[in-house]
Order: sequence, then C-alpha cells, then structure tokens
Amino acid sequence: MANTIRLYLTCIRNTLEAAMCLQNFPCQEVERHNKPEVELNTSPGLIMNPVLICRNEAEKCLIETSINSIRISMKVKQADELENILAKKFLRFLSMRAEAFQVLRRKPVQGYDISFLITNYHCEEMHKHKLIDFIVQFMEDIDKEISELKLSVNTRGRLVATEFLKQFI
Amino acid sequence: MAYFNGGSRAVVDILSKLRNVEKPVPVDHSFCELGSIRYHIQVLESDQENIFFSISTPRLSQDEPNPNGLADFILQDIKTKYLNFADIIQPPKEGYKLTLKLNFSKLTRTKDHTKAINMVSSLHVAILNSQLKDTLKNVWMGDIIQGSTMPIKLVNHKQEPFFVLRAPKKITVIFPMRFKDESDVILATSFFQELADLGSKFPKAPHCEWSPIPPQELRGEHFENLSTNGGFVSFGIFKRHVKGKKADKTAWILLNFQQYVRYHVKCTKGFIQRRMRYRLEVLSEEIEQARIGGEAKIRKESTKQRKTWLRFSNSKKMKRGIKAFADQIKRLRLRIKIRGLGRLHRYFFHVPKFPALGWHAKLD
Repeated sequence: MANTIRLYLTCIRNTLEAAMCLQNFPCQEVERHNKPEVELNTSPGLIMNPVLICRNEAEKCLIETSINSIRISMKVKQADELENILAKKFLRFLSMRAEAFQVLRRKPVQGYDISFLITNYHCEEMHKHKLIDFIVQFMEDIDKEISELKLSVNTRGRLVATEFLKQFI
Repeated sequence: MAYFNGGSRAVVDILSKLRNVEKPVPVDHSFCELGSIRYHIQVLESDQENIFFSISTPRLSQDEPNPNGLADFILQDIKTKYLNFADIIQPPKEGYKLTLKLNFSKLTRTKDHTKAINMVSSLHVAILNSQLKDTLKNVWMGDIIQGSTMPIKLVNHKQEPFFVLRAPKKITVIFPMRFKDESDVILATSFFQELADLGSKFPKAPHCEWSPIPPQELRGEHFENLSTNGGFVSFGIFKRHVKGKKADKTAWILLNFQQYVRYHVKCTKGFIQRRMRYRLEVLSEEIEQARIGGEAKIRKESTKQRKTWLRFSNSKKMKRGIKAFADQIKRLRLRIKIRGLGRLHRYFFHVPKFPALGWHAKLD
C-alpha cells in the first residue's frame, strides 16, 4: 500500500518538474494585461496537453500546463460517508483560506476536490523544487489528516458512549 | 451543557441577590429558559420576608389529566422535598402551573441556604422527572396487548417527541432523531453505532439499538412523527433501572438524551475545526519556507526565541537555584565519610561546575 502511494507521488513529482517551466507572457487579447493562460484557455498554441495521473478510480491528479501558469487538481480518496464529509469540510476550510497558501485556488475544478494555480510570479518568488515538495507533501498530509480525523471522531464517539452508559450503573 | 446540570443559573443568581440585599426591595421578575420553561419571581412591598416563585413547564404527555396545573402526586412529592422553606400556593398564579411561597428565614446556616436555593433552581427537573417516572410506572402496570402496549408519545423539547411502550419484561423508549445538517447525521450515526456496539461491555446498562427505519412498534404512528434523517434509537429499560433512587437519574438521562447527542455532535465539530486550524498553520509555515528568503526569516525568529531563553538563564534566581542544586548533590555524595577515601572522592566524585553563560572569567 505504501509502495503504490510512493509511486503515485513520484510520478506526480516528475511530471511537475517537467511541466513547471513558466515564463512571463502578457495577454494577447487585452493590452497591458497579464492573465494565467491555463484559466482562460483561449489560445490552443499556449496550452500544453493535460496529464492525468490516476492511482485508482477514486484518486487522481490532473496537471494542466500553459506558457505562464500551471493548474494542478486533485481528487482525494473517500472510502465511506464519514471520510467524505471530513474531506469535504477540510478541503473547503483550506480553500476558503487560500490567501494563506497563495498558490491555492479558492474553488476546485469541477470533478476534483482541490486545485492549485501556480503562475510565473510564484516561480519567481519561490524556489521551484520547494514548491513541488510542498505540493507533494500537501497531498500526503491531506490523506494522513483525514485518516487521523476519522480515527479521532470514532474514538471520541466510543468514549462518549462509554461515559453515557456508565451513568446507568 | 446548562441543560444537563439541571439547575437554573438565573434563578440561583436572583435568589442569592435577594438574600444578600441589605434593604429589601419589591421585585417582579419574569423570564423564560430553554424555550419552554417560564419563571416568575416576586417580592411584595407588603410582605418582604416571603418570595413568591412560580414556574410553568411544558406538557410531557398529551394525556395529562390536568393541563393547567400539576398532578396531585407531583405536588405531594414537592411538598415532601421542599417542606423546610416552601409552601404550595393554591391556586397557582395565572399562566403558571405551580406557585411556591419561599421563606428562608428558618435556615440559619449559609450551607442550608445555598442548598435550598439550588433545590428551588432544579424545580423543573423534579417536575419533569416525576411526570416521566409516573408514565413509566403506568406503562409498567399497563396491560400487554399483542405483545406490547400502544406507544405513548411524550414531548420534552419542542418538535422532539419520543415514545414509551411496554414490551415483555421491559419498557422500550424510542427516540426519533432529526438533524438539520447532513454532516450532523453522519457524526451522530457513528455515535449511535458505537452506543449499540458497547451494549455487551455494560450488561447492567439499558440495551441500546439503532435502526435507520422506524421500528415495528411504531408502525401506525403519524407520518410526521416517523420522518427522520438520523434514524431511531431504542433503549430497553428494565426494572432495575427504575428501582428506588435510580428512577430519578434514569428519568433525567432519558429526558435529556436528544440534547446530549446534539451536544456531542457540536463538540465533535469543534474538535474537527481545531484540528483543521492546526493543520492550516503547519501547511502555511511550509509554504513560507518555499519562499526565497523565507528560511532566513524563520531562522531570525528562532534566534529571537533563543536570545530570550539566554536572557532568562542569566537571571539571579536561576543562578541561586543551580547553586542550591549543586550543594544538594555534594551533600548526598559525601554523606558517608570513610577515612582515606577523601582523595578518591576528590579525584573521581567531584561535582562538575555548571558553566556560566555569558560570564567572563576573573583575572587574578
């Protein structure tokens, strides 16, 4: 199990290292404007082929690249209803505070749970290899956090139920 | 959480203030608590020694014989418990189910006075408990038709009914659970499943079951009572749970079960929120490290913290403490004195001196 996630993350890391070659590119339609081309999707010449990396049916990562920006969308594993609501709550919590991360998108791409948008400006302000490390670490941390939350919620429920039934004794 | 303690804090505050006031003044307070319990506290100008306390609690069952007042057995119960300082006024004040005339002058000790005020603040608990105990007793005595009695619908809190019915050798209490949010339903469902699983660990506790569909005993009830999103929780109450003093506790636990579950769901959501905030801080630090110059900023902050620690370690108190500790060690090691071993002590058991941080060596 640990091996499959390692392979999945290594594949994502290698793809990001190859895809994150961004440069400043002013908007071709509006003067003095500079927009991330991956979001506009107007000129096919500026957009590269998107890469979809699937670990299984439930977990996948879509990497869309353009000349001046890259968009990374992830779908997180959700085994049951409890994991479903925990993942939804947690990722929505992070998305609402996207300014703390700068590279996080406030709304995920349709069909995915969370999205990042990295522009050439971010690559100028941050180390490229550390940015990639952050993305990969983020994916690992999300999975770990959701599993821990689920365990904690079940443990709390058991403790509270024990205390409730003890009152009758 | 205030619901589970039983006593009303507002009543305790008002009665304590009335007791501590130097010059008695006329008082007329009306207030409502928990949405359905109404209080009225009055001190008349002409009779400032007595406090008139009125209370109105929600109707537990639609089949109550006297909807505007309380049943005789409840009044008898209250009379026995509150004999020392309260008299029941008949008829009660208009709009209220019970009026008591309180006189704390007979209670000389502060401890007794405080106990009396706490008992008055928990009056609604005593009333609701008596009502539920009587219902459970009636159901227990009732005839069994086709294996169980017809279910009796009780309403403690608004729009949150629960059902009591007699089964062979036990009373079944069924709670239909409703929640506003889908996430609340899922959190509560995991709690109910744990509650059902723990039944084998606590054989003396009531047997608990959870089902997403209405149990067979409730087939035939109105659709509005059976439409829920949190399923149905059933408790099997045996005779040992309603014997003697346990009856009060069991009744109070059952009356507050739905609020208990809601409180657990609220606390769980708060816990999840705290974990998420912590994780957000950790991830924000990681992205800061990715910035060019971000590492230097973090190093600067950790140096500041180290300087603060060093400043603390140079203080006089710290030096005195270290000296005392070193003396203690010396004393312990040199307790047993053997002739000729002094030299050995000096060479092998000397106590190391603690290095002075930031001190300069004296020049002779």
